[in-house]
Amino acid sequence: MKKILIVIPSYNEEKSLLKNYQAIIEYNKKHKIKYDVILVNDGSIDNSEKICSENNIPCISLIHNLGIGGAVQTGYKYALSHDYDIVVQFDGDGQHDIRYVKNIIRPIINSDADMVIGSRFLKKDKDSFQSSKMRRIGISIISFFIKLVTGKKIYDTTSGFRAINKKIIYLFAKDYPVEYPEPVSSTKILKMGYKIVEVPVCMKDRVNGVSSLKNMWKQIYYMFNVILSILLVTRGSDK
Amino acid sequence: MSINLVVLSGIFSVIIILLVLYLIKKENVNIKYSLVWLVLFVLLLICLFVPGLLAFITKMLGFQTSSNMVLSLLISVLVIINIVNTIINSKQDKKIRLLIQEISIMKSNDKN
Repeated sequence: MKKILIVIPSYNEEKSLLKNYQAIIEYNKKHKIKYDVILVNDGSIDNSEKICSENNIPCISLIHNLGIGGAVQTGYKYALSHDYDIVVQFDGDGQHDIRYVKNIIRPIINSDADMVIGSRFLKKDKDSFQSSKMRRIGISIISFFIKLVTGKKIYDTTSGFRAINKKIIYLFAKDYPVEYPEPVSSTKILKMGYKIVEVPVCMKDRVNGVSSLKNMWKQIYYMFNVILSILLVTRGSDK
Repeated sequence: MSINLVVLSGIFSVIIILLVLYLIKKENVNIKYSLVWLVLFVLLLICLFVPGLLAFITKMLGFQTSSNMVLSLLISVLVIINIVNTIINSKQDKKIRLLIQEISIMKSNDKN
């Protein structure tokens, strides 16, 4: 039986935190599954820490904000030290749906992939949240560059809904990009010869809280940085 | 600006750009901090090799010679970069202090 950990990086998500955690616990009970959860509280300045301790939510509270890369890597380090077989990154804002976790981990359990990305853009579902037009253009530009550098097409380059196996847990716990982690880490893994598979998922619209990428200049700056990061990814010295 | 100076500045700019890209690739520097060096020297290269651009900017800013202008602008940018680095260093000081305090408290909790 594979040990599965769901890592929830969370910054100032006090409004949706408890609801999301309870949804996972309900799902576990209903389907007689054991998804372990670790919430990484990325130096939130709201009541996230209080809510976690009051409700016995397994939580690592970072003493300083590190950003999504640092928070998720903390989860990977935790997974490595607790010998988990599969880690699923699950965003703390309520956009990801626990029911898709089984689809995301299946290719790993079947040894068909080292990393699985839950993709919003494989299934054309009108009801599902497809993200704004600008973001979709940005995502396809990033996709183009990843294909340029690795030869492999990834449709949802910024999806945080992803699962990795033990080999990748070890790699990411050791070294994980601080900025733009999703596209850069995918590129690095592909360059090292690991296998990435995408499965279709539906994501919900952000219910509470604010996305961290708001205005246009920031988005252009982000795009420029991601593209440069992707172009400069190396194979690294170990596999 | 004399042709020697243009070529020399151009070579220097290319070396710096390659060096910064190499450092980013080897993951010795963060992209967000090195971006300013890349942008600066790419802009310098553009000014050096687009005919007339350097002379135009020199005249517009009121300098006598292009070499004076390039030097002054570079120094000004370096000052700004240094001030930004000072801010970054101060933030890092804060983070380190926080780490020291938290770890020390943890150690003393373990002991007691």
